[in-house]
Amino acid sequence: GVLSHLEMLEAQAHELALKQEETEQQEEKLDRLKARVQELRLQRDELRAKVDLQQKRLLGKEGVVTSGVPGAAQPSDRAILEWKVKSVQAMLQVFYLTGISGKLTKHGVCFCISTAYEGTYLDSYHLDLITKPEVQIRRHSVPVFIPLEQLAKKYLQTDIRRFLSALSDHLNAYAGRRYQADQLQERFSDRLEGTLQRNSLCNMLVFNYNMSGKKQTFPFSAKLLYGDLCRSLPTEAIVSCTPGAPASLAERTAAHSDVFRRLALHKAFESFSSPEESLD
Amino acid sequence: MDETVAEYIRRTVLKIPRDEIRTMLQTWGFLSEAQLQTLNFHQTKDNVSQDVVQLCEDNSADIKQAAVLDIIYNHIYPNKRIWSVYQMNKTGEEMDFFDLTDFKKKFKRRLRSALKNVTINFREYEDNAIWIRIAWGTPYKKPNQYKTSYVVYHSQTPYVFISASVLRSTLPLLCQALVVASNYHDIREMELRSHCLNSLKDIVFKRYSQTFQTYYPKPLQERNVAPENVDLRIIQENRNEKERIQRVNREVFGDGPQPKLEFAQYKLETMFKSNPKMDVLDIKEPFRCLVKFSSPHLLESLKSLAPAGLADAPLSSLLTCIPQKARNYFKIRERKGFFPGSFVSP
Repeated sequence: GVLSHLEMLEAQAHELALKQEETEQQEEKLDRLKARVQELRLQRDELRAKVDLQQKRLLGKEGVVTSGVPGAAQPSDRAILEWKVKSVQAMLQVFYLTGISGKLTKHGVCFCISTAYEGTYLDSYHLDLITKPEVQIRRHSVPVFIPLEQLAKKYLQTDIRRFLSALSDHLNAYAGRRYQADQLQERFSDRLEGTLQRNSLCNMLVFNYNMSGKKQTFPFSAKLLYGDLCRSLPTEAIVSCTPGAPASLAERTAAHSDVFRRLALHKAFESFSSPEESLD
Repeated sequence: MDETVAEYIRRTVLKIPRDEIRTMLQTWGFLSEAQLQTLNFHQTKDNVSQDVVQLCEDNSADIKQAAVLDIIYNHIYPNKRIWSVYQMNKTGEEMDFFDLTDFKKKFKRRLRSALKNVTINFREYEDNAIWIRIAWGTPYKKPNQYKTSYVVYHSQTPYVFISASVLRSTLPLLCQALVVASNYHDIREMELRSHCLNSLKDIVFKRYSQTFQTYYPKPLQERNVAPENVDLRIIQENRNEKERIQRVNREVFGDGPQPKLEFAQYKLETMFKSNPKMDVLDIKEPFRCLVKFSSPHLLESLKSLAPAGLADAPLSSLLTCIPQKARNYFKIRERKGFFPGSFVSP
């Protein structure tokens, strides 16, 4: 009856107490082990740091030894490697400066065409080609008004050197024409009436000008046509004078037309301000 | 001065932010500097616009001059309109010099021969961009200056940027006039639209930053060299993965800023592939669905997905091909062949 029930309860309580003790012991054990792991990790880090330090000291000693001994001309491997890297970089720089350089990629080649005009380096343009199954242009940064597709259709499959050379000619000529037009606007804006009219390819320029900046009128009117896209000098230079201008000025139009066809734009304008020209 | 012109000028001035009114009027050049001095720009915009209209009345402005002010406003704030890109084709190889006067004459003549009641204005800018503003009328009504289309064309390129007005019916006329004036044969609309005109130009003119593999040494910018005295107890478990993601991202997107697009839309006409027990699949038809990605700056957000851990690198080529293919509207159909997949229609 009641007593047996009480006994049972007592037994249960005892069991629970035992279990609780067990779990407490286990937790304690776990904590101890964790603390031990932390200790060991700290030790390991300290030892690692010591090893690193020792290695550095050893290397340092070696360095001192080799450079301290006079006459021992044994450059370390590292110095030789650095020299090799520098000379390769210089070689690649030379290739870049020639105007066309390339690098093999995992699906083909990537070419870089750099443009220049009379010693000034201008923009670079890139072409990413795949070579299998046939040569195709994957991506490029060539401006849209350069006839890239036409050149590719003609030469890309058959003669890639010719393709690159033709493209380089187009890009360099465009860069040269644009450079001349920019120079004219920057340096001789006082001799131009307003801005000069140009187009995307810079192959047609129209402007009114005078020969020295002091005058207020712009008696001359020029239209330069660059018929050959691979050249940076005009194929046609139409110069005219306003109707009411004095005859002395009107006579010069032929000479100006000739100068524009021979010299770069900014050089042409420089020649206009030379002593022989300003004799009016 | 015409009532409609006065009202048009008044409304155009009201659109301009207060700080910009003076500069824009100066660029316009229709009012003299002395007249501009008499204006008080600190009063309410309503009053400023009334004063400007009064001055224009004194100078007898007509609709052509008012239209120029509108072009100037739209040139400075092009992002208020949606722009579409059109591509023109020509079969010949002749190089033409592009005579601007010839272009303008041909355009006006062609457009006017189809519809007499139009107001056409041109304005050229330093970057070889030609802006054309057209206000449309009907055969029996004068041009409505509030229903305008804008065209931006760079000479000697096959691309035209058009911001059409609500009158889509006038588009064929406009396209034909452009083709004739620029000596091309035909024109088609590309699947490329955005509010940001300069970004559209960057994409088709290939002015955005692409990475090309070259030997030319570029300055090493973002190589984060970890400082030597970092706490040894902090270990970056997936440093290799992080670096791989950065490298792949840089190869795909380049180092510079991305062109600004607001959305990319994919129309899927592919078969639904899933658990065969679902009833939906009994119908052997393509499952049509439309996926649209919107963002204030879509390409920048795509670029930051992988480094932020939100997507695997490399991203799907459907997303990364957008600037390269110059399109942000795609149709994806089932690829018929040995390997089931999807292919993008041209």
